[in-house]
Amino acid sequence: MFKGAFSIWGRDMLVLRRSIVSELVSVVAYPLTLYLAFGFGLKGYITAVNGVPYPLFIAPGLISMTAVNAAFDESSWSMWFHRRVQRTIEEYRVTPVTVYDIVIGKIFSGFSQGAVKGSVVFLVILALTPFRIDYTHLPSYLGCIALSSMTFSCLGTICGTVIDKPENIGRVQSVIIVPLIFMAGIFFPLSSYPSSILPLIELLPTTAVFEGARDALLTGAVPTHYLVNLVLSAAVSFAVAVYVFNRKMAE
Amino acid sequence: MSHAITLHEITKSYDGFTAVDRFSLEVARGTVFGLLGPNGAGKTTLIKILTTLMRPSLGDAFVEGHSVLTAGKEVRRLIGVVPQENNLDRYLTARENLTLHARLHGMRPASYNPRIDELLEMTGLASRGNDFPDTFSGGMQRRLVVARALVHEPRVLFLDEPTTGLDPQSRRALWDYIRGLRRKMTVFLTTHYMDEADALCDRIMIMDHGACLADGTAAHLKDAYSRAHTYQVEFKRDAERYEGVLAGLSFVKAVEREGAVFQITLADEESIKPLMDHLGGADIRRICLKEPSLEDVFIALTGEKVRE
Ligand SMILES: Nc1ncnc2c1ncn2[C@@H]1O[C@H](COP(=O)(O)OP(=O)(O)OP(=O)(O)O)[C@@H](O)[C@H]1O
Ligand SMILES: [Mg+2]
Repeated sequence: MFKGAFSIWGRDMLVLRRSIVSELVSVVAYPLTLYLAFGFGLKGYITAVNGVPYPLFIAPGLISMTAVNAAFDESSWSMWFHRRVQRTIEEYRVTPVTVYDIVIGKIFSGFSQGAVKGSVVFLVILALTPFRIDYTHLPSYLGCIALSSMTFSCLGTICGTVIDKPENIGRVQSVIIVPLIFMAGIFFPLSSYPSSILPLIELLPTTAVFEGARDALLTGAVPTHYLVNLVLSAAVSFAVAVYVFNRKMAE
Repeated sequence: MSHAITLHEITKSYDGFTAVDRFSLEVARGTVFGLLGPNGAGKTTLIKILTTLMRPSLGDAFVEGHSVLTAGKEVRRLIGVVPQENNLDRYLTARENLTLHARLHGMRPASYNPRIDELLEMTGLASRGNDFPDTFSGGMQRRLVVARALVHEPRVLFLDEPTTGLDPQSRRALWDYIRGLRRKMTVFLTTHYMDEADALCDRIMIMDHGACLADGTAAHLKDAYSRAHTYQVEFKRDAERYEGVLAGLSFVKAVEREGAVFQITLADEESIKPLMDHLGGADIRRICLKEPSLEDVFIALTGEKVRE
């Protein structure tokens, strides 16, 4: 069962291992820059958010952001590339593996990229800055990131499956993914929103991703409504990704 | 069941346009079957249907008795596929490309490693196993795709224009290999090279606009469809005068002239005797029957016009 998915995931991990150093340099640079620019640049202006020092307030979000971005990137571009450019998906499809093997293998590759890159950014922030956490909170934080990476990997897979033109994947990223991430309050507390739109913001899956992860890291517990949101988003996007891929392949 | 491949009234339409039209076919096990046709005839579409990449709009097809509609996985277990366009993984080495394929077929390293060595040897890529396909020439990439299709020892092999881009040496090497597979494997190939079909195929089908035009052995097709009574005549002198004479003969259907050499197409085989009577023997240097080629058959059936 799912041996094919495992082989396809294995292929992606082999390729990732080969380019890991250059991948990590580029993936660490962005959140680290944001951390230094906002965390230190603004420290003098924003001392604390709800009692949490500003650098500590943004760090969990930057780590989560790295993980979900990496998951989305890998899933969308890899699916598009293997489907449209290299046409390796066709090669997989004339072997006894099923379309479920293929889509599940690809989703887990995106998830793994997110996990690896998120962990590395976490370690780098830990090593280079005074950012410190209570390690008993780590499991619930990692659980949050895992669920979020899963959701974004599925969303990426959906984009890579239905979008044929590469520029449109770029558009989805800048028009949907980036705003969703920034609206979710990585850099500011949600209480900054007018109370009329706050309930809407709270429903966003990304809000659950970032607020949930921050709460997990700082307090060790994820508020129930965020946890429900995370699990539901992951489950729904997984089901949709599998369905969409299956449909596309039957064309 | 003695047929390796059966197509039953397969139709494939792409929103309104019919690429394959109620196509039926049975291919005997252990034979090499060649599908010929101009660009856009529907060859690749048929291969995509048979390899479960595409669902027919109507009809069903069977590979070794398994339906492509309801038993796709069983079909895919038995087939090897060389697509028209190379689809190698450029981030994997040649050997890793073959290894991944073997894994997707559920093979274990103990059985796939020796097999991959053998295939790399056969395709002349043994020393390039650890290189990436990007660094290969087009022909080497093509040979790697062929090797990949053979890793799991398929029972039915689909080759969509397998020798496009190969040099004559590699082409012949591949032909030899395919001939060697006959009887062990059923081979279904498409090609635009008439010599390839002639040399390789036990049975040839010519199709166009999604339907079959002719079907049989190369010899059978040449007999049945080419202008079998074309003679080549070379004159020692007076070519101009004979051109006039030929133009006046009712049983001469067509004359093509190149210097002193004439291609004369007669209405039927009996017309050779009156032709000799009119030409006389004295001025003829050489006369011979022109051997029909598969290309003549192909052009006669599908027309001279280039497809848009
Ligand atoms: N995805 C598609 N959408 C619409 N039409 C298509 C599609 N694929 C193929 N066709 C059409 O179907 C017809 C048959 O195409 P097919 O690729 O089977 O031809 P072919 O015989 O393999 O040609 P070639 O010798 O050029 O490879 C063509 O007219 C083509 O335009
Ligand atoms: Mg074709």
